[in-house]
Amino acid sequence: MLARPPEPAIAFDAIRVDLGGKTILTDITLDVKPGEFICVMGPSGCGKTTLLRVVAGLVQASAGKLSLFGKPVQGPSRKVSVVFQDYGRALLPWRDAAGNVALALEAAGMPRAEQRPLIETLLAKVGLKDHAHKFPGQLSGGMQQRLQIARCLAQDPEILLMDEPFGALDAMTRQQLQDEVLALAAERNTTVFFVTHDLEEALYLGDRVVALLPNPGRLARIVDVPLARPRNQLATREHPDFLAMRRDLFDMMHETH
Amino acid sequence: MTLRNPIVFIGSIAVVFAILFLWWLASVTGTVSRAFVPNPFDAWAALVRGFSRGDLLPQTIGTVGRMLQGWLLASLIGVVLGAAIGLSRTARDYLQPTLEFLRPLPASAIIPVAIALMGLSPGMALTVVAFGSLWPTLLGTIHGFAAVEPRLKEVARCLQMSGPAFAWKIGLPNAMPDILAGMRLSMTVALILAIICEMLASQAGLGTAILLAARAFQSSELFAGIALLGAIGLVSNLALRAVEIRALAWQNSH
Repeated sequence: MLARPPEPAIAFDAIRVDLGGKTILTDITLDVKPGEFICVMGPSGCGKTTLLRVVAGLVQASAGKLSLFGKPVQGPSRKVSVVFQDYGRALLPWRDAAGNVALALEAAGMPRAEQRPLIETLLAKVGLKDHAHKFPGQLSGGMQQRLQIARCLAQDPEILLMDEPFGALDAMTRQQLQDEVLALAAERNTTVFFVTHDLEEALYLGDRVVALLPNPGRLARIVDVPLARPRNQLATREHPDFLAMRRDLFDMMHETH
Repeated sequence: MTLRNPIVFIGSIAVVFAILFLWWLASVTGTVSRAFVPNPFDAWAALVRGFSRGDLLPQTIGTVGRMLQGWLLASLIGVVLGAAIGLSRTARDYLQPTLEFLRPLPASAIIPVAIALMGLSPGMALTVVAFGSLWPTLLGTIHGFAAVEPRLKEVARCLQMSGPAFAWKIGLPNAMPDILAGMRLSMTVALILAIICEMLASQAGLGTAILLAARAFQSSELFAGIALLGAIGLVSNLALRAVEIRALAWQNSH
């Protein structure tokens, strides 16, 4: 008997999304493999965030079928976690860092005694070990985003959705966090669906890059990124293949604009 | 009442003494009649006398008790009802116009109605105080629960939090600043209404004491009572402010 190929982590089958009488996305068909790091890239208005929200179960597709590991999406699930771009609004300002991570564990019904060691581990993992008792308002932007990532990891998700998570951070912090997220995803073998408007970020992080075009949002190109892992901020970005893919995608986005 | 620097603090104390001095000056020079305005020392003496020999203590307890009971009842109803209304868009749409009509209604205007329905009873006073002081807490709570950041609602959905868990872990802490600010306003209203109820319905308390002192031209006793009411207001406000600072420590941690 032949082994069946594993179910795709995310399977988009002719997805269309209409919001307010306007078609935002149309004819999206795409399979994301388990453990794959997929980057969705495109100009503003191409529906990339909407596509992420469909996977999160926050927006319902108007047509087509979406399944996660073979099961149709019925709404938000704790197995799928979302890192929002606006970390400042996605954290509870009245809870300290440890308390914010605890929110995800409480939602999962974990007894309080078991939460503590796990929270410590997670905060250490994102480099916030010494900031467990600080409120979000006392943390820098990069630290707040790390905290949100820790809360999402606390869900122990099968799929991690990231919506332009580093868009509001300075270049230095952004590069640090890119490497941290790559390391975390590799360690847990989590499927990552990463939305960005930054072409270089998409190429640097992804196993594949999905380029969308606007009006209405549609698939333009799916590019394999066979660059060696672990990636390196200098070596990877200076690699001739990286530069060639960057030029190729850049031209494509501008021609069809 | 934050102590920004010692000079301002000393200055603010100096203002109090300046006013006391002017008061003293007005009374000893005879600018105003002693029958209406006593000298501050006489008022102080009346206050001490009232506590040591008179019935100022039970009267104070009566007024503070009436205020606190009404206020606690109002706070309880305000928070529970406010949470229910604030969490539900539908409830807000249906109830908001009624609430907006009832809110500006001077609570003293319902005293005759309350007397007609309940007589000159302690229950009547409790009802009036609670009704009047309900509004700041109720409206603050509604606003606090309704104004939860939409992103946090999505976080709650993504975590599949139940409705009660959302209300308890996100709605209530989000509403806490508005609730406490409302309760502080409510406290002031409760004191005012407790006094008015006493004056109108002859419930034993500072309100009746002041009224009787005024009718007997006992200006020292009258001013002692007024000063005592001011002190009650000040102390209750400071106590609530202290609770606020403790409970909302996260707000000042930036």
